[in-house]
Amino acid sequence: MTASATTRQRAYNVERIVGLVGGLIFAVSAFFPWAYGHEALDDMAYFGSPSPLQWFAVVMALALINCLAASLLEPTLNNSTGFLKLLGRISKRFGWIRGARALAIGMLAYAVLAILAVALELNGLVNLEMGAWVALVGAGIAFGSSMMLPTGRAPFLERIPSYPVLEIATIALLLMGMLFASAYALSQEDGGTFLMVLVFIGALAGFAIGSGFGSWVATAGRRHRTVLVSSAFLVAFLFPFTQNGSDANMSIATQVLIFAATAVGLNIVVGLAGLLDLGYIAFLGAGAFTAAVLSESAFATINWHPPFIVVMLLSGCISATLGLIIGSPTLRVSGDYLAIVTLAFGEIFRITMNNLDGSSGPNLVHGSSGIPAIPNLNFFGFDFGQSHVVAGIELGRFANYFFLMLVIMSIIILVFTRLNHSRIGRGWVAIREDERAAEAMGVNVFGLKLLAFAGGAFLAGFAGAVKAHVDVSVVPDQYVFLESAFLLAAIVLGGMGTVMGVLLGATLLKLVPEKLRFMSDYRMLIFGLLMVVMMRFRPEGIIPNQRRALEFHVDDEELVEDVEERLPYEFVEFEEVPA
Amino acid sequence: MTFLDPLINGLSLGSLYALIAVGYTVVYGIVQLINFAHGEIFMVGAFGALSTWIVLGQASANLSWWMLPLMLVGGMVVGVTVAVLMERFAYRPLRHAPRLAPLITAIGISVFLQEFVRLFYGAIPGFPDAKAAVVFPQIEFFTGPAIEFGGAVIQRATFFTLGALAVSWAFLWFFVNKTKIGRAMLATSQDPDTARLMGIDVNRIITIAFAVGAALAAIAGTAHGLRYGNIDFKMGFLAGLKAFTAAVLGGIGNINGAVVGGLVLGVVESLATVYVPGQFGGAAWKDVWAFVLLIIVLVFRPQGIMGAKVVDRA
Amino acid sequence: MSKKTMVLGVAALLSASIALTACGSRTAETSAATTKTAKIAVIAPLTGDLSVMGLGIKNSVDLAIKQANDAKAIPGWTLALDAQDDTANPDVGANAATKVAADKSVVAVVGTLNSGVAQSVQPILNTGNIAMVSPANTNPSLTIGADPANPKRTYPNYFRVCTTDAVQGPFAAQYVYNTLKLTKVAVVNDKKPYGQGLAEAFAKEFTKLGGTVVDNATVNKDDKDFSTVISVMKSKSPELVYFGTEFQLAGPMSSQMKAAGLNVPLMGGDGIYDDKFIALAGAKAEGDLATSVGAPIESLASGKSFLEAYKAAGYKDGYSAYGAYAYDAANAIIAALKVSLPNSADAAAARPGTITALANVSFDGVTGKVGFDKYGDATAKVLTVYTVASGKWVAKATDTAK
Repeated sequence: MTASATTRQRAYNVERIVGLVGGLIFAVSAFFPWAYGHEALDDMAYFGSPSPLQWFAVVMALALINCLAASLLEPTLNNSTGFLKLLGRISKRFGWIRGARALAIGMLAYAVLAILAVALELNGLVNLEMGAWVALVGAGIAFGSSMMLPTGRAPFLERIPSYPVLEIATIALLLMGMLFASAYALSQEDGGTFLMVLVFIGALAGFAIGSGFGSWVATAGRRHRTVLVSSAFLVAFLFPFTQNGSDANMSIATQVLIFAATAVGLNIVVGLAGLLDLGYIAFLGAGAFTAAVLSESAFATINWHPPFIVVMLLSGCISATLGLIIGSPTLRVSGDYLAIVTLAFGEIFRITMNNLDGSSGPNLVHGSSGIPAIPNLNFFGFDFGQSHVVAGIELGRFANYFFLMLVIMSIIILVFTRLNHSRIGRGWVAIREDERAAEAMGVNVFGLKLLAFAGGAFLAGFAGAVKAHVDVSVVPDQYVFLESAFLLAAIVLGGMGTVMGVLLGATLLKLVPEKLRFMSDYRMLIFGLLMVVMMRFRPEGIIPNQRRALEFHVDDEELVEDVEERLPYEFVEFEEVPA
Repeated sequence: MTFLDPLINGLSLGSLYALIAVGYTVVYGIVQLINFAHGEIFMVGAFGALSTWIVLGQASANLSWWMLPLMLVGGMVVGVTVAVLMERFAYRPLRHAPRLAPLITAIGISVFLQEFVRLFYGAIPGFPDAKAAVVFPQIEFFTGPAIEFGGAVIQRATFFTLGALAVSWAFLWFFVNKTKIGRAMLATSQDPDTARLMGIDVNRIITIAFAVGAALAAIAGTAHGLRYGNIDFKMGFLAGLKAFTAAVLGGIGNINGAVVGGLVLGVVESLATVYVPGQFGGAAWKDVWAFVLLIIVLVFRPQGIMGAKVVDRA
Repeated sequence: MSKKTMVLGVAALLSASIALTACGSRTAETSAATTKTAKIAVIAPLTGDLSVMGLGIKNSVDLAIKQANDAKAIPGWTLALDAQDDTANPDVGANAATKVAADKSVVAVVGTLNSGVAQSVQPILNTGNIAMVSPANTNPSLTIGADPANPKRTYPNYFRVCTTDAVQGPFAAQYVYNTLKLTKVAVVNDKKPYGQGLAEAFAKEFTKLGGTVVDNATVNKDDKDFSTVISVMKSKSPELVYFGTEFQLAGPMSSQMKAAGLNVPLMGGDGIYDDKFIALAGAKAEGDLATSVGAPIESLASGKSFLEAYKAAGYKDGYSAYGAYAYDAANAIIAALKVSLPNSADAAAARPGTITALANVSFDGVTGKVGFDKYGDATAKVLTVYTVASGKWVAKATDTAK
């Protein structure tokens, strides 16, 4: 080792120690009061007795200290022998600094958010106590020093051969943790508290991904796909049981699922086949109107009430037919035109529904009043409108629909992943990348495009049929262009072409506005800005499809290398990796 | 009612579409980008003109005819500024990104501009709240009593809108065909790479294309305010969509096509309101017929009425 | 093995969470509860296009609650406001209703503004036995069900203080035919539930009286350009144009009509009875007509005191078109709570009692006599015709609808 290299190493050690001190300050600040009043956030006005939010701060700080300490001790460990040497070798596989950075960013955001929330909720910065400022300083120090540290090599934890038991247990534990975390986050009434819990979870996720633990879990998940999928489903299934009979969050959760199911359907069209559909909400609407018209509502106009399974299939088929009608002439024209034609189609749908009221057209849906009072579903005597007590826990109306949507969601996800990995899916990707080349290679371009369009429409119609019953009334104004834009945003935000990404995007877009009602006036402004910023800096979304990410960053050689390095063999599929 | 009435109404509406459609077509012709947010420039331009009047004329309730040129200039300044900023900071970084990216950006910009005007226009001292429709000053010279002409009623604002379209069209023809910048634009639209090799600053040309489109959209915004007496933050969405339809109808990328397409679309809408019989007639269905026309044109004549440069951007 | 690990993991997680909560020396503060609290929720658009009306509703309810608390209207109980935004969107409204229903301290709801939102809020609140009094829903089917010929109450918890399209439309028709002696009108609607219902009710009554509807037109709610619709109407030379819509469309329609040389009055319902209509219609709005529910607020003693109290309370936003109704709705609820709350252990227990008590409420409100029939509709059928004179709405005639 040359002298200069040694000095550089030492210089970084100083930053590591400074970062450690920053983390320590942050941790200690949690034991001091942050706010003067008890009303702000979750009552941070005590000395020596942190509130849950303050405990989260301690957790983040400890994780940061762990990261920095490990990176500090690593050279020493490597130079020693025996057990310590082994520890060092394990430690080498972690991306400690990357993890520390994520944590430090999270801590800073956490402190700033806490200060803003307290100032807003108690009217003024004077209501902040010493602790909050100390936390800000600590987070600032940790942030500054971790930013100065070199990130070093990428973590390669996933290459560790592992025991299946350990992997499965970790997956189960993680998902269980997710269940508790989401139940906890949702139980927060206060918008500021909710946001801070989100930041905390985000920081931990960033830490996990940065330090390499995330990719280890991802590898484990790929190895034990069935376990992962079934336990994820189980966790979602258990979610209503954490709500203690309250419908308030279940109503949001059910709507998130409906929205997400529709978005996954749209993802086939946009994410896989690369066809920009700006009128997709019309297919959801077509499904909902079909179900409403065939329901037993007193306002229904068709006196035929088949069982719900039939209605659902019919809704899907009608949506798919509409998809074929709009798709067959327009899919031959270039992509930009398609976007506009679908947008126009969305408008045509809305106006037509408004006009089918008996005066401007046949009375099918009562025009803009729509069809209200749609009764609850009833499967073989199981009334979806009634509360049921299972294992001592009351499950309300929305919980019933939640379970139904869960089943539908899993069907849609199954369809999506199977299609994605099939010949058809590869055909779509080929079309998306280069239509000419795909055609030359014998891909039936028009047929596959049409299939994507109609298939996506079918799934939306499916979801729409349930939506009609969940919402109780179906009105044309629910199916406007803005909703199509929101669906598209869920895909763009979460990540094109991945199921996990869409689920995340849909959850964020539906849940956050509900929890942050106090700033709902600025919701659309933020939404617009977010779209522009995302496209500029991370067009592939939060959880991207690797191949898709490459398309957006052709010039980014590091990413290309990174992706190639991760590929155990050629042409492996990375779409389904949950982060 | 003679046949003339709906025809004139249609031409008047169509000339607004045409003015906006030129902006879509000029930008598309050069960078093959559908500037979805162009409808918002129309809206922002109208608010710019209104602001000019508030600053200069409101105190004295000045509604003389010479206020209008000032308002037009004010609207154009605001519209062009927003368009150029939009091109520089949102579209330019995405020039080589996949097709989807700028389209989604455009939706984002569109929503952002609408909300920005809605939330913050009224926050400027002395400016009206823009959360609902805002009254646009009625300049008597341009909005006074309608003129009866051979049994048909022609509103004064119609003269203004048609006149503005004619002047803008003539100006554009001169600009594109006779000036150096215009010829550079033509060259860039035909082959950007060769144009660059020939020493043309392509970035500058693109900015100019955005600016020209924005100026015309701002004129349309002001004309809209005069014609209908009020403006609001969401007027750009439907107008933009219709104008795009007009541009495609005429043949996107073709300036004459945009003008013809706009007029045709306006007349079709107006005639459909009057002459489609039975339940599917009337104003309730006119938008549907306009969009159906768009789909029909795309299927049977994708290059539009006047023909467009064949661009393959699938 | 894996199962064991899982169980262990869960146990560790649980014990950790217990440790987290058990730590610390927080003294549980028990608030000395001398009075119990019951909440009245408002579900209305507090943001977005229609926020002007929604905020007016919220403030007026707030005023009613403050006055009741100051007067100690219900001994042993304090009332509080819980305002929820529905952004005029049925989905958001349903979430707001679910949230309200889950809150055990809420006894009743004032809302919604839009009939479309009411449709999805009604059933949720009905399941929770929460009374809902709307200040603004005019769609008749909300109370009497799908078939007007065969009225059947859909949700027993639903009441409204405003009149429906079925009352207001015919009232306007009678005024036009009997008082103004006009026989040829054109009817336009904006295809929204409110406007369409109103215009249809007007046209039906007008034809029944012996008048002629020379043209029946529709416009879209996003339209700006009415010139062609006006050309068609003008060719049929009506003596009045009845436009079922709100002021956002009616103002421009009035100004465009006159610019195109169709110089006849425009008439509408309470949706256009707003100063913004006159601003949008411009100087030529003189002579345009509107009907609105109740006697003119200024003419009633209770109305005057409402106006003064609202002004004194210093709200940032005006009471707008439906503030007075919202104030009456809140007072109707408070009157019902006087019956239901004193006998109840907590607010949730008072919910069914409030619904029963509401059916029997009767008092003199700001908009006139407040009371409900067996479907939950307002019994008061007093309406007033207003006209635009020198840039202001002026009351022209007040009468009881037949």
